[in-house]
Amino acid sequence: MSGPGSYDIGGILGEMREAYWAGVAEQEEAPGEVLEALLFTLGGLTCAFETRFAAEVLRLPKLIRLPAVSEPVVGIFNLRGEITAAMDVRFLLCFDAPPIDAKGRLVVVKGETFVTALLIEGALGVHTLPMDAFRPAPGAAEERFIRGRFDHEGEAVLLLDLPALLAAPEMLIGAQK
Amino acid sequence: MISRKYLDIFCREAHEQLALLQSGLLALEKRPGDRGMLHELLRHAHTLKGSARMVGLGDIAAITHRMEERLKEMEGGTHPVDAPGIDLLLKGADAVGLLTAALVKGEPPPLDADAFVADFDKGELPAPAPADPVPTIPDPADTVRARVSTLDILVNLVGELIINRKRFETKTDTLRDLLPELPAECRPRLKEFHRELEDDVLYLDYLIQELHGKAMGLRMLPLKSITDGFERLVRDLSRDQGKEVRLELVGGTIEMDRVLLEALKPAFIHLVTNAVCHGIESPEERSAGGKPSCGTVRIAAQHEGSSVLVCIRDDGRGMDPERIREAAVARGIINGADAERLSDDEALYLTLRPGFSTSETVTAVAGRGVGLDVVKQNVDRVKGNIILKSAVGSYSEILLQLPLTLSVVDALLVAAAGEIYAIPTSYVQEIVKLRVDEIESAAGKDTIRLNDAPMPICSLAGALGLPEAVPSPRHLSAVVLKLCDQRLAVTVERQLGNSEVVVKRLGAQFQGVRFVFGATIMGDGNPALILDVPDLFDGGAAAPALRRPELSLPAAKKVLVVDDSITTRTMEQSILSARGYDVTVSVCGEEALERALAGAFDLIISDIEMPGMNGFQLTRALRDREKTREIPVIVVSSLSRDQDKREALEAGAQAYIVKGSFDQGVLLETVEMLIG
Repeated sequence: MSGPGSYDIGGILGEMREAYWAGVAEQEEAPGEVLEALLFTLGGLTCAFETRFAAEVLRLPKLIRLPAVSEPVVGIFNLRGEITAAMDVRFLLCFDAPPIDAKGRLVVVKGETFVTALLIEGALGVHTLPMDAFRPAPGAAEERFIRGRFDHEGEAVLLLDLPALLAAPEMLIGAQK
Repeated sequence: MISRKYLDIFCREAHEQLALLQSGLLALEKRPGDRGMLHELLRHAHTLKGSARMVGLGDIAAITHRMEERLKEMEGGTHPVDAPGIDLLLKGADAVGLLTAALVKGEPPPLDADAFVADFDKGELPAPAPADPVPTIPDPADTVRARVSTLDILVNLVGELIINRKRFETKTDTLRDLLPELPAECRPRLKEFHRELEDDVLYLDYLIQELHGKAMGLRMLPLKSITDGFERLVRDLSRDQGKEVRLELVGGTIEMDRVLLEALKPAFIHLVTNAVCHGIESPEERSAGGKPSCGTVRIAAQHEGSSVLVCIRDDGRGMDPERIREAAVARGIINGADAERLSDDEALYLTLRPGFSTSETVTAVAGRGVGLDVVKQNVDRVKGNIILKSAVGSYSEILLQLPLTLSVVDALLVAAAGEIYAIPTSYVQEIVKLRVDEIESAAGKDTIRLNDAPMPICSLAGALGLPEAVPSPRHLSAVVLKLCDQRLAVTVERQLGNSEVVVKRLGAQFQGVRFVFGATIMGDGNPALILDVPDLFDGGAAAPALRRPELSLPAAKKVLVVDDSITTRTMEQSILSARGYDVTVSVCGEEALERALAGAFDLIISDIEMPGMNGFQLTRALRDREKTREIPVIVVSSLSRDQDKREALEAGAQAYIVKGSFDQGVLLETVEMLIG
């Protein structure tokens, strides 16, 4: 069945197969999964969490000390009429705690049940981090709030597990009363 | 308990149905054969009965049931449609009207429904008691339903307005303070602008107060809304206990914040339960003691300023201070020696301590083990106060001082540990100035004597666990706090006056922070914590001893007062000496200059108009001489013109106080500002 007017069904199927695999190959070469994250300095390290948790970044307002509370709460401030706590989570993360200078900021974050603010040493902006540059944390006890590390522009960026951090009992103020 | 909302709906419906019943009955009297009207009346009575049953109004349901039965009998021909029959039905409608009116006003039922129904059945009803006109129930068209959460948001937003008004006030004051620093040519226009701005802020203040009152009114409910079920509670409890107890409620229409009422309801239930179970004696005991066999528990509420006083009083056996002391010692709540030192009135308050059981001490009746400490916790939570009174064999009285609302409180603002705190004024007894040597120390505890009674004292910063500033060597400012029968003095760095503050709740992240009840936003936009005074009483005991100034006090600062008026001279000398300054006086400028050159003064206070050298000349002379050039000068004069003030400052004076506005505080503040 190879006379004039006939067609080579085997060849056509072969071409279709090649076209299919070419399409698949193109898809594989498309950009990989990325994470939009807020980068900031904490404990002298570059850290990040997903932007969906961040409400805003503020210059340091006057913080009013709360009596009879211990770390990580450093004070409260007025966030447009809402009394909001400022938390220094560095000790929870087992980080160093260099002094906060003029670059210091508060990142307002939204947890499941409350809004709070995290004290950071400086904000580095919103960045897109490729997931193929991400290595999950081994799960060490001292890294309970760290999901893993990104290699970003030749620098390590720690991805914080913000939901776990906000759910930590230490984040509830005065619960020991 | 049926919610007020449904009762209101029922009252509106009853109002309409009763009007229809009355007009229909009068029409039926004229046309006894009108069966359509008879059926219409039956339907109204039936509807009213069903609605009354739905909201648990048994009295009204019973009366309307009888009315319905009578109308059925008329319809069935077993009872004639005659004047006595119509009269009876009208009296039934009147009775329902009376009961509904009482319900609207939050008053107890004005008639005994059971007796009324019995008389109705016999057809022997007396003429009804003259009733107050039924209060107008708002036309449903004039009312709208609103969610409670919406009302709460409304009140919160008004709170934001109050805060914003304060910020306006602060900024207006800043503008006023800036005026003298501006070029002279700008001042008149800016002064005018400032005056107009002050007027605007004042008007805004007025509007916000009106708005706040209206918004709060939306959230207010009568006290009766939580005490409605108490009659049944008392009836059931007294039957269980084999007692006869009558409940009286006075002032049930007094309105309080809904949030507060909800928080207080458990406390009221405790108190009424305790009164019935532990306060009121058995009928036999009462009769033997010459009392009526039926005891009375009375809840009476009344306004007092911005508070509500609720008194729960029973005419039972009272609380025996001796037995309370014994029980408190037996339970380890207090040691024997301390218990003996307590007066009988003070001993009553031991019942508020955790672990104290009233059932085993105040009465011999075995109770539920529910202590008054639970009531105290409830009352503390709403920033109220408890006062106990009793006479053995006669009565027990628990007086609750409660705020009308928790959204705004009157507070004393104080500075301590570098922060500003608000103390609800309901806890503030007074503010006292103390010398350090008035503080006595024993066993690591500091006390002062006030009205000849010792009182513990600690620093507010220390009680809060915050770093404490070293107090001024000359004097301390202390706020005397009261909680039930206890008093505690806390020293503060400064007291900043009273203010109405908007209470901001701390959010879900805050799980009962100790010492803190909430926060408010100050005029500068920063929060200030509102202190939880009951926690302070607990913390005060653990507070470290007050930090004392160095024992070797620096030599007192020397002040030279110059005035030709003996009154002014003596007054200033007396004020300054009382504050620990070493004061020398001069009667004229020449003498003052001589003394200033001969002595070593830290400050000179001078009048202007004096015989010979006046105050301006004295100041210039002091500035011209090496030895006296740096001595600060305060001019105190009755001259209040700007040009006098300017001349004094140009001559070299540091401050100018007008005698007309002179007060002790201004002088001392100015002196302290200049030389400490």
